[in-house]
Amino acid sequence: MKLTRRMTLAAFAGVLALGTAMPAYAADLIAIITPSHDNPFFKAEAVGAEAKAKELGYDTLVLVHDDDANKQSELIDTAIGRGAKAIILDNAGADATVAAVQKAKDAGVSSFLIDREINATGVAVAQIVSNNYQGAQLGAQEFVKLMGEKGNYVELVGKESDTNAGIRSKGYHDVIDDYPDLKMVAQQSANWSQTEAYSKMESILQANPDIKGVISGNDTMAMGAYAALAAAGRKDVIVVGFDGSNDVRDSITSSGIKATVLQPAYAQAQTAVEQANEYVKNKKSPEKEKQLMDCVLINGDNAPKLETFALKN
Amino acid sequence: MPNKLTWLTLGLTLAALAGLSLGACKILPTPSAQGGDSANSSAFNPDKMVEEIWASKVIPYLQQKAGPFAEVHALAKTDPAAAGAKYGNPKKQANSPWTFAVRVEGKIVAANTQSRAATIDVDVDGDGKANARVQIGPAMRGTALRDSLDFVQFNDFTNQIDFAQFGKAFNAYADKSVLSKLPRDGLEGRTAKVLGAYTIEGGQDLPLVTPAEAEIGPKP
Repeated sequence: MKLTRRMTLAAFAGVLALGTAMPAYAADLIAIITPSHDNPFFKAEAVGAEAKAKELGYDTLVLVHDDDANKQSELIDTAIGRGAKAIILDNAGADATVAAVQKAKDAGVSSFLIDREINATGVAVAQIVSNNYQGAQLGAQEFVKLMGEKGNYVELVGKESDTNAGIRSKGYHDVIDDYPDLKMVAQQSANWSQTEAYSKMESILQANPDIKGVISGNDTMAMGAYAALAAAGRKDVIVVGFDGSNDVRDSITSSGIKATVLQPAYAQAQTAVEQANEYVKNKKSPEKEKQLMDCVLINGDNAPKLETFALKN
Repeated sequence: MPNKLTWLTLGLTLAALAGLSLGACKILPTPSAQGGDSANSSAFNPDKMVEEIWASKVIPYLQQKAGPFAEVHALAKTDPAAAGAKYGNPKKQANSPWTFAVRVEGKIVAANTQSRAATIDVDVDGDGKANARVQIGPAMRGTALRDSLDFVQFNDFTNQIDFAQFGKAFNAYADKSVLSKLPRDGLEGRTAKVLGAYTIEGGQDLPLVTPAEAEIGPKP
């Protein structure tokens, strides 16, 4: 902690010192900070935000925190140091992020949160998040229907530090637990990871060969689980994901994974930049800080219309 | 990108260490001392909250706001904003669909009591065809009751989980106090009288009404 503070101080000092030697920025800067772009969902957010920021005449600084709250704190220092006017942030933890966003606010940099909310209001200017609970309900209702309201199933849960992992799991169970003939035989976290989901699914399947379905907290884990099931000759197992990625779309259209839930990631990131622009230029805050965006069920009927986390008409 | 950043941080650190003045720096308190707030969430009791407002606020609100289903739905299809102003919650989230308070009175033309998400299909205009599908539990979809109330705001809740559990508590209360007492057999042909709410959805399914009050008439 002490070391971090010293580093921060040093970085500030460096910026101050360099500031005199550097020319003024040509355009205002917006920092875009998300988890790793390895997951196409976060990449779509960053791409969507960057495109909108450039369109509105901003320079951009695109960074990834890899779901590490310490790293996120350093990146926010960087954004402050570089004189960013606003930060678009998909954060690294509902509790840990509050202090980091407060730090930016104290330094005069406003934050616009996307995808994940934090456990505080009045710190960020906006929190634009998918209605994960509503989305999880949609996914779970489809899952219950596909399962015929009965049978053994497995739940793959996301990364524990991410609020959305808990929200989705609760949303799933709020629906599924109303059906006593649906029995959860295993519930494990695969940390949003495709490879981890593959290996976890392999061992779960060995212990529970009689499973009929898998409900997954996101699409990358659904892809990993389905690959493991397919490798074991168990393509009959019903798999449902969450996010609406192109990978899962392709799996749905080729009769693999049965359904997913689309989060409008691209549109959400763009909305955040528009609100940041209003705030930076006109000091106008959005009407409400916390804004929910509804999710959409994707199955065989509408999967062909899905492209990069948006439904085409 | 992380590499660039590391170099930037390193560069700045070196610049600072090279003897540049620290005089202009303020020492900020480290904000790690806070926390422990999560303990508060154990005090959150959505079932109790719903029970406390049900008779005093929820039912009077719905009674005052609700319109007959045929009227509400016709307006909702032609002018959702006008229907929202009249029967909906004008303080809803901008990106959410409208939810309307509604009265459904008519004849039950079909029933699905095999599913735990049991429903009755109600014909409100006497043409023999169903106009609305009413959930009769015990499993219920959605959060229409919560979303129809103009005195419930997402921003008043700590997070989505609390807000979601509050929504579920309305359904649970309706099930416990009203729906679990309804008959389950021979429903077709009987009359139904419902006060509840429904959310406009995109699909071609019948509008799905969540009741706060419901009566089913005797067998004809």
